[in-house]
Amino acid sequence: MFGRGLIKGLGITLGHLFEKKITEQYPEERPVLPARFKGSFTLKVPKCIACGLCANTCPNSVIKIESEKDENNKKKLTGYKMMAERCLYCGFCVEACPTKALMWNHDYERAKFSREEVNLDLFGSYVPSPEDDQPAKSAKEDEESAQAS
Amino acid sequence: MLKTQELTLNLGPHHPSTHGVFRCVLNLDGEYITKAVNHTGYLHRGLEKLAESRTYTQFIPYNGRLDYCSGMLNELTYVTAVEKLMGITEEIPERAEYIRVIMSEVQRLANHAIYFASMALDTAGATAWFYGFRDREKCLDLIEMASGQRMMPNYMRIGGVSDDLDENWFKLLKELVDYMPSAVDEYEGILTGNEIFQARTVGVGPVSKEMALDYGITGPNARASGIDTDLRRDEPYSVYDRFKFNVPVRKNGDSFDRVMIRIDEMRESIKIIEQAMKDVPEGPIMAKVPKVLKPPVGEVYHRIENAKGHLGFHLVSDGSTKPYRNHIYSPCFVNLGIFPEMAEGLHLMDAVVALASVDIVLGEVDR
Repeated sequence: MFGRGLIKGLGITLGHLFEKKITEQYPEERPVLPARFKGSFTLKVPKCIACGLCANTCPNSVIKIESEKDENNKKKLTGYKMMAERCLYCGFCVEACPTKALMWNHDYERAKFSREEVNLDLFGSYVPSPEDDQPAKSAKEDEESAQAS
Repeated sequence: MLKTQELTLNLGPHHPSTHGVFRCVLNLDGEYITKAVNHTGYLHRGLEKLAESRTYTQFIPYNGRLDYCSGMLNELTYVTAVEKLMGITEEIPERAEYIRVIMSEVQRLANHAIYFASMALDTAGATAWFYGFRDREKCLDLIEMASGQRMMPNYMRIGGVSDDLDENWFKLLKELVDYMPSAVDEYEGILTGNEIFQARTVGVGPVSKEMALDYGITGPNARASGIDTDLRRDEPYSVYDRFKFNVPVRKNGDSFDRVMIRIDEMRESIKIIEQAMKDVPEGPIMAKVPKVLKPPVGEVYHRIENAKGHLGFHLVSDGSTKPYRNHIYSPCFVNLGIFPEMAEGLHLMDAVVALASVDIVLGEVDR
């Protein structure tokens, strides 16, 4: 019979009409994001050793690091800028970080009105937290504590 | 007698049914196309040249920008090409190989879902469009969980994959695999079984076997024209030789067959994922690869079965950390070449259907 397929299709849509809605009402409903989600960057300034691996591994030379040597001849971070307008969000910098100072966060609403606003000054915008005084953990310990929590 | 003349019409570059920024200059006699000329290059970013100024690893994220509907598959092609160049193909851990196969099949499902959706929309079936995107979202959620991004995953690495997958991920994958067959049944019920859709697609833009061979068409489009070819079976890469799956082939090569071949392929992809997830071994996910990659002097060409056809990378190494030349053989570009001959004599609205059925992504056509 001609039109049988048409009626079958209408039956499928009718069946879905009474199901739970799957559309996410975005600005009101916030999406549940997976842990590895790549939103924006966070830099834990006290952990950073200014080694420059992140800047080296970046395909687009997005990261600009400024550092100076202190009295113990140890490198100290004095500036960390990300030209996020050119960023690919590939995550090689986060992967390369030996002390896990650079991390992803879930801040995905990055639309801005001008180009300059998109760029990040991770050193200037860092807010010290009470965790800073604790002795720096090795990467392995960090992973263990993350799994425990 | 009315005096008539041919009309020259620009289809695109901003036309939604060209699936991107593709311009086609059509000569119209009434509503029938007498001549079509392709104009590409609107999305050209010079990716091949960019590769020459980046190290081998740094080019991996750019692969997602090639064909942005199947990022994982592009990355897999590139990393396997580099591995072949370095001669470490045998050293890739088993677990990484299985994860690669699962990821590429999930990506293939997502790609065919978006193909189905856009095909529905181009035949003015807006309802079916949402069904395709609903399932694509489920596939992309899994990719997002593994890699952190939906469309530009940057998950494959030279020597393995970037992150391991946990049990929770495999549980969600199981849910997807259990769910997908019913979704594919729905596709067949809502769109391809529909008489109106069949009237719009059956016999539209037929590509004969000879024509497909002449133009070098690959992938699902070639299989729709009756060419029995699939690199997953013919030149098994990764661990594809361990899985049993059929290669669907159809005869007519018209738009309807090109849609149906994708629907059949989705079922086969589900089969492959089912087999792969059953025996994923435990173990490392990265081979021991030096931090700074310096492949030996030489060149390599490696191709795999992308969702759209044969995607190949021709890499030339001069022994330094950066490739001397990186040529991308893109299936979309080759498949698009058939459009002028296909469109000749077609009704204008049928040409849109024929173009949609070829499945092009302009990111890969222009590179």
